Amino acid sequence: MLIDTLFHPSKIFDELSKENAETMASITRFAILIPLLPPIFSWIGGNQLGWRLGGSEPVFFDTTGSIVFSLFYFIMLCIGFISTVAISKWMAKTYGAKSSLSLHLSIFTVICLPLVVASMAHLYPDVFFNVLILVPALVWSITLLYKGLPIALGISSDQGMLMASSLVGWLLVAAVSLLGICVSLWMNGAMVILGI
Amino acid sequence: MSGLSLHKKLEKNAGLLIFGILFVSSIGGLVQILPVLFQDSLKTASANTVPYSAVQLQGRDIYIRESCHACHSQQVRPLLAEVKRYGPYSRAGEFVYDRPFMWGSKRTGPDLHRIGGKYSDIWHRIHLIKPRSVVNDSIMPAYPWLEDEPASAAGDIQKKMQVLKTLGHPYSEQEIEAAPSMLDGLTEMDALIAYLQVLGTSAETSEEQGHH
Amino acid sequence: MKEESQQFYHDEVVTRLVQFSLIWAIVAMFVGVYLSAELLWPELDFGQFWLSFGRLRPLHTNGIIFGFGVSALMATAFYTVQRTSHIPLFMPKLAWFCCYAWQIVVLLGGLSLLAGWTSTKEYAELEWPFDIAITILWVCFGVVFFGTIARRKIETIYISNWFFGGLIIVIAMLHIVNNLAIPVSIDKSYSLYAGAQDAVVQWWYGHNAVGFLLTGGFLGMMYYFLPKMSNQPIWSYRLSVVSFWAFTYSYIWAGPHHLHFNSIPEWVQSLAMVMSLILLAPSWASMINGIMTVSKSSVKLHNNPALKFIVLSLAFYGLATFEGPMMSIKSVNVVSHFTDWTVGHVHSGALGWNAMITYGVFYYLVPRLAGRELYSLRLANIHFWLALSGTILYILAMWAAGVSQGLLWMSIDELGQLNYTFNDIMASMKPYYGLRLIAGLVFLSGTILMSFNLFMTIKGKKTVKVKPPTIVKASEVAA
Repeated sequence: MLIDTLFHPSKIFDELSKENAETMASITRFAILIPLLPPIFSWIGGNQLGWRLGGSEPVFFDTTGSIVFSLFYFIMLCIGFISTVAISKWMAKTYGAKSSLSLHLSIFTVICLPLVVASMAHLYPDVFFNVLILVPALVWSITLLYKGLPIALGISSDQGMLMASSLVGWLLVAAVSLLGICVSLWMNGAMVILGI
Repeated sequence: MSGLSLHKKLEKNAGLLIFGILFVSSIGGLVQILPVLFQDSLKTASANTVPYSAVQLQGRDIYIRESCHACHSQQVRPLLAEVKRYGPYSRAGEFVYDRPFMWGSKRTGPDLHRIGGKYSDIWHRIHLIKPRSVVNDSIMPAYPWLEDEPASAAGDIQKKMQVLKTLGHPYSEQEIEAAPSMLDGLTEMDALIAYLQVLGTSAETSEEQGHH
Repeated sequence: MKEESQQFYHDEVVTRLVQFSLIWAIVAMFVGVYLSAELLWPELDFGQFWLSFGRLRPLHTNGIIFGFGVSALMATAFYTVQRTSHIPLFMPKLAWFCCYAWQIVVLLGGLSLLAGWTSTKEYAELEWPFDIAITILWVCFGVVFFGTIARRKIETIYISNWFFGGLIIVIAMLHIVNNLAIPVSIDKSYSLYAGAQDAVVQWWYGHNAVGFLLTGGFLGMMYYFLPKMSNQPIWSYRLSVVSFWAFTYSYIWAGPHHLHFNSIPEWVQSLAMVMSLILLAPSWASMINGIMTVSKSSVKLHNNPALKFIVLSLAFYGLATFEGPMMSIKSVNVVSHFTDWTVGHVHSGALGWNAMITYGVFYYLVPRLAGRELYSLRLANIHFWLALSGTILYILAMWAAGVSQGLLWMSIDELGQLNYTFNDIMASMKPYYGLRLIAGLVFLSGTILMSFNLFMTIKGKKTVKVKPPTIVKASEVAA
């Protein structure tokens, strides 16, 4: 099933459109891997090899540091993933699409899977290497989003296009919000402002 | 429903619409920007701040011509890390002779407000001609052509000082008179380095650690 | 008056402006790509002063804003004001003068930037002779635009014209006040303001040039073309009017958020931050209005590149107008300021919103001006994917670069010592700058495909002659 999801996504989207409970159950079983695997990979990589930021020496986190970092990564991915599924389910009504939770959960599991597999690159924590691996995976995931939504939700390709674009808008806003929240938290914990 | 009837008038009368836009968009400027222009503390030079000399002024205009500000800010923010990295944080009174301001909006390279005196003239010269010979990973462009031109080529220095004098920079007639001879024998490179070496040197020593 | 309504709309000038806009898009985006390559391989300037990063950078920004952006805005303002007023352009010769003189000013202005004539004020780098020329041409633009509105045959001034009107009036005000200077010579002047005051005036200009040109002006496009393409009236006319006034009022206050923690008074920064947050409401009101209009439409998106681009542009508009207020929050800004995050933010607006909505409008407009089908639908569909992936890659690269710059610069150990040298942090930017270069190339290649496609559509065709409708209900809104 996992292999099919990666290499024949359109087949899976077709199956999903039938809302077959068995297919959905077998896919949603993987859903937990999506927020779980990348932090594990980055934890292992960070501990064994240290993060390399360009020219400088590798950066090692201490044990607490690396656990906090991975935990935070996990929570961020959870929030991102769950909120996207929820928004998609909510939007489905506007576009007259099917709106069962397990269907939307399965769809986004399929869409995110390439990214999760590519996150294995975290095992070798060199920024450039990770960028090289993750970017094509991201392009592939976005393609899946645009191609998969209309098939799996049983809506016209026009409606699918609108819905996918709205979701891209949401994902970008969500990403930038997370960025802002992280930065704010970081600064409020780790920085001293003088004067002003 | 007066709001609605006003709207009905506006959407049918081009003159009113133009006036409306002008009125609504200028409120912010009048309340927020105008008071800043009249705030004396922003125009008062801090204790050690003096107008640029003829050579430094010429150097500053070369800095402007090459748009150094596109990659280097001149504004040390009052943050612990910035004060550690660059020196005392910047104060409004240090910039009163800066026309235009050079604070910048992007640090592709490091901040330069406190660069004055940190490196030798020789270092700057080598760095400007071959940046990567002194800073390994530097991505700064080289500026070899600054060595080829005399400093006087970067504009009429007397005219510049006269204009600045009318804008309130306290240059004396003698200084303006002597300006061209100050540039004698100097290249654009020399002038630019003179400017870099004076940058930020007017910081008060008591705030060396950034705390006042 | 009777014989005037018999005249055709003046659309030839629109076609010409679209062509110029396309040329500037390619030139200025190419310069952008070249600049991003210079950040990886600084030797690419070959020791030539005019290829130096500092001199090319304002050419990139001015070429995009004034070459690509303003030409597109003039084209669409001229096209839409005729159709929402049911009358040909007022003083068409003056419109032609605006069209050509503007291109000459941008071209010579661009060359002057390479020669090192610059006031350094961002997006207002051109020196005083060009500032005067721009002022004159802007007045001419206003005369044509408002003259057409003054003689309109429809009682109500349609909402798109409000935004174009706001563009013309507010940009004129900003441009004149910010560029006040005393000339020293033809290529040099000294600003009337100094230091902190100069900074506040400049960012009052800089921020609102983005506001009224790149946001408001392009919203003018959106309010005409989106309902037109969707074959639907705008979802809520009331909402669009309310958001126009709220937008015009609140945008102007936000400028000093570009100067957080800089040497300007604290109250100015805080006020700017509060007003920036408020600004989110009118900005998103326009987005919601646009999305609801398309959602109600029954027009097919399939094989309709124009509408696809506009829908996507609204998504990026939503991002950019959310990100902006967020970055004006001081605890976020303390990290994002001076970093590539700012560059990424500008490009999520410029690529995702400005360029994409313009592309959408051009895909709609050019076949109608030429009176024939689009040369290649396939190329347009490929372009859509290039534009989308290019923009997303660009934004991601700059987010990653900006946040790591901001945090690493601030990083301090227990003893209060800096953890990283500036150099190490800068050297670690290479992967992101590489990705940004690729993103730029992808986006640029899409733009080249589109320009080829559109030029082939226009090729050998005269602009179609269209007459204003003869029977008009006084109350009809031409949406």
